[in-house]
Order: sequence, then structure tokens, then C-alpha cells
Amino acid sequence: MDASGYVTLSRLSGLSREMDLVANNIANIGTQGYKSQGAVFSEFIADVPDGRSLSMARSTAWTMNMTDGVLSQTGGTFDLGIQGAGFFQIESPDGPRLTRAGSFTPSAAGELVNMDGLRLLDAGGAPVFVPPNARDIGIAEDGTISADGVPVGQIGLWQPVDPLTLAYAGGNLLSAGDIEPASGGEIHQGFLEESNVDPVGEVARMIEVQRAYEQGQSFLDAEDERLRNMIQTMGR
Amino acid sequence: MKALQIAATGMAAQQMKVDVVSNNLANMSTTGYNARRADFADLHYQQYARPGTISSSDGAMLPTGIQIGLGVRPTAVSVVLAQGPLAETGGDLDLAIEGKGYIEVTLPSGGSAYTRDGGLKRSADGLIVTSDGYPVAPGITIPSDARSIAINADGEIYAYFDAQIAPQLLGQFSLVGFTNEKGLEATGSNLFLESSASGPPIVGTPGLDGMGVLRQGYLEESSVDSVREVTELIKAQRGYELNAKVITAVDQMLSATTQVR
Repeated sequence: MDASGYVTLSRLSGLSREMDLVANNIANIGTQGYKSQGAVFSEFIADVPDGRSLSMARSTAWTMNMTDGVLSQTGGTFDLGIQGAGFFQIESPDGPRLTRAGSFTPSAAGELVNMDGLRLLDAGGAPVFVPPNARDIGIAEDGTISADGVPVGQIGLWQPVDPLTLAYAGGNLLSAGDIEPASGGEIHQGFLEESNVDPVGEVARMIEVQRAYEQGQSFLDAEDERLRNMIQTMGR
Repeated sequence: MKALQIAATGMAAQQMKVDVVSNNLANMSTTGYNARRADFADLHYQQYARPGTISSSDGAMLPTGIQIGLGVRPTAVSVVLAQGPLAETGGDLDLAIEGKGYIEVTLPSGGSAYTRDGGLKRSADGLIVTSDGYPVAPGITIPSDARSIAINADGEIYAYFDAQIAPQLLGQFSLVGFTNEKGLEATGSNLFLESSASGPPIVGTPGLDGMGVLRQGYLEESSVDSVREVTELIKAQRGYELNAKVITAVDQMLSATTQVR
């Protein structure tokens, strides 16, 4: 049985997925709070009838790079950057979601919402109300909101109980299993966390993927050549 | 390979950022203009293998699965609410709002619009109007024989006459606030309209109810920060180039694919 074609194919299909992933990272280079994604390749052992085994490459997992992005100053009252651990909790139709993207605005009803209109939840899991006639809104590092010097609420920071349950949910949101209040993070008013995509790293990965793909392709070419020669020799 | 479309969404997003930056730079000298900012979010994710999929007969699960994102989408182009610097002009109808609030303007249709551009003028009849000629609420007329007018921080307008010593109170400007100022609909000409996202207008007296105060003889300049805009422009341009690079790389990979015999 000739399996080298299939082995190469498994590698090529994994590489094309990794390319999609690199493209997604680069597309989100300007997305606030975005966490870059990495691919993990693993060996897949296939049984071959005559008792030997065949090793293929398989991409079944990804990693989320949880490094903090740069906090850039915007000066906005409701632009909140998290330094250190923790996420904001957002109420979505599909259940609670976590995010590091801290661009909020009061809704017409006076509740803080993200740019998709989903509500931010406070330390107790309730919506955050901001008095509309306040002259000055201050948000302290522990999330305490004060309107003209009077505390009116506290934005909570949360974390997943099991970090492995974190998954991308689109719209700057991450889904997680059970969540619990986080400690150790500080909220900075007037700052936004930028994407943590490293352009140099992504371009290097992109080139690596592209060359590996071309290598796989030239291997297929060589294999094709070998088979052709074999057929010619045997058929003579 | 979806990377082509993914990179295309990235290019479109960076293009939009350049559009927003260029509009900000174009309005660097517009009275009362607040910079806009484009916000982005990641698009949906395609699940190749859901986390928790059973991967072997002994019940082992994939701890993370495979999720591939489909790119980026713009979520909002929002106003960066910031006080612009006040520039002294000396004009008696030049009003700068120091703090929160908008001046209410009556449109020809009868509806209301709101502006922070306090470069007011008077019409042929002495009515206080905006630069476009729209009357400013509550419709105050300055008598033609008034020697001068004074507007105090609380919005009261007084006229001085040659014949009398005490000034005469002509009226009172009010300021209008919104629960969600970012939800106002910009219509150009420095005007904003109420929307269902902004909430209804909350009329207040300057200096009270959280509203700012009025400064006669000053205009609020554009709050566009040119240094920030230029850095944003550089970031957008490089981001665009990186996405274009992805398209080139994918193109070469596809070309390699078609060359396999």
C-alpha cells in the first residue's frame, strides 16, 4: 500500500488550516482585546493491515495566547483596560460571556453596554447603571464607579474556573464553562487593551506555513515521478 | 482555504479605519467636532471539532477542539467624547460649551437637532441662528437698537441699550444632554439628531443638572488629536499591508496546489 500521498495530504490540510488561523490573527490585528490563536499539530497513528503503523500529522487543537495586549490611552470615560488577570462579564443571549475588550457606552436606558449592545455585568452579576445627569464618572482600579464622587456600583472582573474551557465566541467575546470572581486584575479608565497579535511572529509563521506547504507539494511531485518511473520500469 | 476571505475582511476593516482617520483629519479645524473611532470585533468561528469531542474509545476528549475564526468586522464608529480646547474669538455670539451638553437647533422641518458648534449669528430680524441660518432654541431675538449683548455662564442673555443703564434680560439658553451621547445620529453640518439609542433629550440649565457652562467670546475647537490620528493612520496602513501579504502568500500556496501533477 502506498500511503506517502495520504501522509503528505494530512500535513497539507493541516497547514492550510493553520494558514486560515494566521490570516484570522492578522485580520484581527486592530481588534481590541483580541487574543491570538495558535495551532497544535499532533501525530496520528493509523493502523496498516500488515501490522505496521503509519504516522500522519493532524491538527486537532488550538491554543489561545493569553498574554496581555498593550493598553493604549484613549481618554474615553467608558474605555476600560484590564491590567493583569480577569475578564469583564457580558450578558449575551447564549449565556454569560467573557471579554477583555473594554469599550462600553451607556445605553438609552443608562446601562453600560458593549458596542454590540450587550450588557456589562457588575461584581454581583447585575447590569451596571450609570446616572445620566452625572457631571463626572470615575472608575477606580477595583472597578468602583463613582458619579460626582458618590459610589454607584462596581464593575466585576471574572475568570473561568477551568481556563481550558475558554473558547472564541466571536464579537470580541469568549465563552467559558463556570466562572468565578477574579482577583489580581486592575481596571484602568481611559485605556483600551489592544490586540495581542504579534505582527512579526505572524508574518514569520505565515512564511513558514507557505514554505512547508510548497515543500509538501514538491514531495508529492517527487512521489508522482517515482511512481511514474516504477510503472515504466515494471511495464517494460 | 478561507484565508483569502479572512484577509479580505482584514483589509476592509483597515480601509474603514483609514476612512475614519481621514475624516477626523479633514475636520481638524471644525468647531465643536469630536474625533470618531472605529471599533472592531472578531467574526464568527467555524467549529471543525468542538471542544469536548470524544477522540478515542476510552473516552478521551479533545480539550480544545479546532475553531477557526472567519476574520474581523467593524462594530462601531463612535464619537470620542472629549472637550476640545476653547479658543478666544471675542465674538459676542460665539459660545463655547465647557462640559457636557448640546445647543438645541430648530430645523426647517420643525424638528430639533443638537450641536456643540457655538458659532452663532443673528438673522436679518435679529433672531439668534446657527451659521446655516437655523434658529437656536428657544428663539431669542436681539433688538436692533441694542448696543451690546452679554451672555453669562448660566446661559442668560442681556442686552445693553444707550438709553438705559440696567441691562435687559432677553432670554435664557438651555443645554440638552443625552443618556447615551454616542448614540446620537450625526447628520453633518455639526448637527446631531436624537435616535432610539441616544435616549430622549434631557433639557437642563447650564451649570446645573450635570450640564456644562457657556463661555461667551470663545469657540470650542475640534478635539482631534493630530498625533494620535497619524499613529492610527500608520497602524491602519501597516495592518492593510500585512493582510495583503496574507493574500499573496495564500495565492502562492494555491498556485503550488494547482501545480501538483
